Amino acid sequence: MLSRVADSLFWLGRNVERAETIARILDVNYTRAMDLYSQRDGRSEKLWHSVMQCAGFVMEPALPSNGRAAHECFEFCAFDPENPTSIVSAVRIARTNALGVRAEITTEAWESINVLYLYVEEQKLRSVMREGPSKFLRRVRDWSQAFAGISDATMSHGDGWNFIQVGRFLERAYMTARILDGIDVANEPWHESQRMLEMCCASAPFAQASHHAPDARDATAFVVLSETFPRSLRFCTREIDEAMHRISRSPRGTFAIDAERRVGRLRSQLDYTPIDDLLVDGVSTFARGLVRQYELLTRDIESSYFPRLPVPA
Amino acid sequence: MLDLQPQYAVAHHYDELYRPDGAPRPHYEALAKTLGRLGRDEILARVQAVNTALLQRGVTFTVYADSAGTERVFPFDIIPRILTAEEWGRIERGIQQRVRAINSFIYDVYHGERILREKRVPRDLVYSSKNYNREMIDVDVPHDVYIHVSGIDLIRDESGTFMVLEDNCRTPSGISYVLENRDVLKRAFPDLFNDYAVCPVDDYPGRLLDVLRYVAPRGSAQPNVVLLTPGIYNSAYFEHTLLARRMGIELVEGRDLIVVDNVVFLKTTRGPERVDVIYRRIDDDYLDPLYFKADSTLGVTGLMNAYRAGNVTIANAIGTGVGDDKSVYRFVPEMIRFYLDEEPLLDNVPTYDCTDDVQRRHVISHLDALVVKNTNASGGYGMLMGPYASADERAAFKDLIEANPRDFIAQPVIQLSSSPTLVEGVMEGRRVDLRPFALYGRGVDVPAAALTRVALREGSLVVNSSQGGGSKDTWVLQ
Repeated sequence: MLSRVADSLFWLGRNVERAETIARILDVNYTRAMDLYSQRDGRSEKLWHSVMQCAGFVMEPALPSNGRAAHECFEFCAFDPENPTSIVSAVRIARTNALGVRAEITTEAWESINVLYLYVEEQKLRSVMREGPSKFLRRVRDWSQAFAGISDATMSHGDGWNFIQVGRFLERAYMTARILDGIDVANEPWHESQRMLEMCCASAPFAQASHHAPDARDATAFVVLSETFPRSLRFCTREIDEAMHRISRSPRGTFAIDAERRVGRLRSQLDYTPIDDLLVDGVSTFARGLVRQYELLTRDIESSYFPRLPVPA
Repeated sequence: MLDLQPQYAVAHHYDELYRPDGAPRPHYEALAKTLGRLGRDEILARVQAVNTALLQRGVTFTVYADSAGTERVFPFDIIPRILTAEEWGRIERGIQQRVRAINSFIYDVYHGERILREKRVPRDLVYSSKNYNREMIDVDVPHDVYIHVSGIDLIRDESGTFMVLEDNCRTPSGISYVLENRDVLKRAFPDLFNDYAVCPVDDYPGRLLDVLRYVAPRGSAQPNVVLLTPGIYNSAYFEHTLLARRMGIELVEGRDLIVVDNVVFLKTTRGPERVDVIYRRIDDDYLDPLYFKADSTLGVTGLMNAYRAGNVTIANAIGTGVGDDKSVYRFVPEMIRFYLDEEPLLDNVPTYDCTDDVQRRHVISHLDALVVKNTNASGGYGMLMGPYASADERAAFKDLIEANPRDFIAQPVIQLSSSPTLVEGVMEGRRVDLRPFALYGRGVDVPAAALTRVALREGSLVVNSSQGGGSKDTWVLQ
C-alpha cells in the first residue's frame, strides 16, 4: 500500500470518528443543559466548559458567562472552520482524504462521506439552532456510522481497511480518554457518571452489564476496562493492536515497529491491571496519561508508515 | 407532455433526430415515443434525481477560471444521442486508419524523418511545434506504440458527414463521463433502453488495461501498472480515480514515486515496489523536473532517464503532442497516404495556414467568417469564433496572428449537427460533437464508448465543458 494512501486512510478513519464523537458529545450536553439540575447558578457554564475540555480544549477559548455559553460552545465545536476538531473541519478533512484515496475505497464508502460533506456544508449555524441542533447532530452521527458500516461491508479487509480501523479506534480511544478527563465525578457522582456514560454511548450497555444505577467507580471501570463494549479503552486498544498486527503480519505478542510495541504495552496494562490500581492517582491523572500515550502512538505510526521514504539502496 | 415537434429550424444544419421534412429518423422513433409517453413531469422529476446522484457520486469537474477550484457537476442531458451500426462502422474504420497514420508519423519524426526528407510535411512546422521533443529522438518505445489512448473529435457537417475537427493524442479525457452517463441513465430511465440493442461501454477499462499490460517493458510477466495523476485539484481527477478503480491499479501522484538507478519505484508501507508501466494523466512538461519544468512538483525526478533506459513504459509516450498539433493537423490526410498508402476515410475540416502569406492575408480579411484557434491551447480556451465575436476581439486576434503566425490556424465555421436536448423542461436543438476513443496496443481498438458533448447555450458551437458544455449518453446500436 502506498504510504500516502495509508496516511490518508488513517486520517479518514480518525476524522469520521471524530465528527461522530463531537456530535454525540454536543447532543448529550445540549439535552442535559435543559434539565432543571443544570440550570442552577453557574452550572450551565461549568457544563459547557467541561464539554470544551472533552473536545480537547482545556482552557481556551474562555466561554462567556452571560447565558450564551451553549451557543458559543456549539458554534466552536460544530461550525468553526478555524477549529481543526470542529465537526465541519473533521468532515472536510475526512472528505479531502477520501478524495485523495478515491481509487482505494468503494463507491458506496465514498458516497457516504460525500453525502455527509455535502450535508454539513449546506447547514448554517442560525437555522440549525433555530430548529434545535439534535436533527443536525443526528444526521452527522448517522452518516459517520454509515461510513463505518459501509466500509466494513464493502471494502476488502486488507491493509487499506486496516489503516482505517487503526485510525477509527485510535480516535475513539483518544476521545474516550478525553471524556474521562473532562468530567467531575468527585462533586456530582451520579450526574457526572451518567453524563460520561452517555457521551461514550455507554448508558444502556452499562446498565445491562451492572444492573444498578451508575456509581462513579463502576461507570469508570466499565468505560475503561469492558471487554465487550466497543468504545471502552481496553476494547479500542485491542482493536488497534489487532489491526496493526494484520498490517505488519508480525505474530501476536511480538512487535515489528515502535508503534506495535507501544500499543502492546498499553494493551497489557489495560488487560492485566485492576481498576483501582489504574485510578490510584485519580481518574484525571490516569486519563491524561492515556491521552498522552495515544498521541505518542500516532507519532510512532506516522514515523513507521508515512515518512518521506529514504532512497532505497 | 413533452412537445416532440422540432422547436428549431433544421434546414441549415444536420439534425440527429429530425430529417429536414420534420419527420424523425427511423432509429430515433422508439425513443421519441417513449419520451412522449413518460411526459414532462415524470421526466423532470427523474432528471432531478439524476443530478442528485451525480453530485453525491462526485462526478464533478473543476473550473479553473473560477475561484479556487470550484467543483461542478458536468451537466448531463438525458436524451441519448444514437448512432447506427453503419455510421459507427465508418467512424471506427476511419479512426483506426487515422490513429495508425499519426502513430507512424510520431515514430518517423523521432526516427529518421522520412516524411520530412521527402518534403511531404514541412520540417520547420515539426521543429517549431511546442510539443516536439528532442529528447525523444532515437528513443525506442515498446512495439513502436506512442499514442496508446487518443480521442478524435468529430463533427457532422451540413450534409451529415462526419469530419475530424481535432486529434487529441496526449492525455484526452472524457471517458469517465461515458461510463457514468450510461450507468446513471440505465438506472433513471430504464424504459428508454427497451426498444434498442445498445453496445455496452463498461468494457473500456479492461480494454485499456490490456493495452497497458501489452506495452510493458519486455521481461515483466506480471507488469505493475499505475495511473499517475496530478492530484485531487485536477479537473479530470474524478476520471483518474474511476479508471484506476475499474482497472484495479494504483492511483499515484508524483510524490509517491521515486527513481533509483533508472528504475521507478512506489513508496509503500512495505518499502519500495517496482513500477513497469505508467499511464500518466500529466502533461509532458510536468513529468520530470530534471528535463522539463524545473519547478514542477507534480512529476518524478529522474523519470525521463528511467524511460530512456527502457525500464518503464509511459503511456502515452513523451512527445506525442507533435502529432496532434493544430498546425500539423492539416497534414494528417497526407500522412495516411504516405504511411498507409490509403485514401483518408474521414475528412479534415479545411484549414488555413497562417504562416503562409497569402493564406494569412485571407484569414485576416475574413476574420468575421472564420474560427481561429491557438495551436497551443485546448479546452476551448484561446479561440475566436469570428461571426460571434466583437470587432475589438477580432482586432485583438489580428494583432496576435500577425505577431505569431505559427501559433494560429483558421477554419470555416462548421455548423455542427444539432441533437434534441432538454433545456428548462423543453426539448430544443443543441449542437453536438463526438469524441470516440482509440486504444492502441496489438492494433487500434475503438470501443463503442464515445463521448457526445453538447453546447448547452442556444446557438453556441463550442461544446467544451469549460465553456458551458454538457454531455449525453451515446448509443452505438448493434
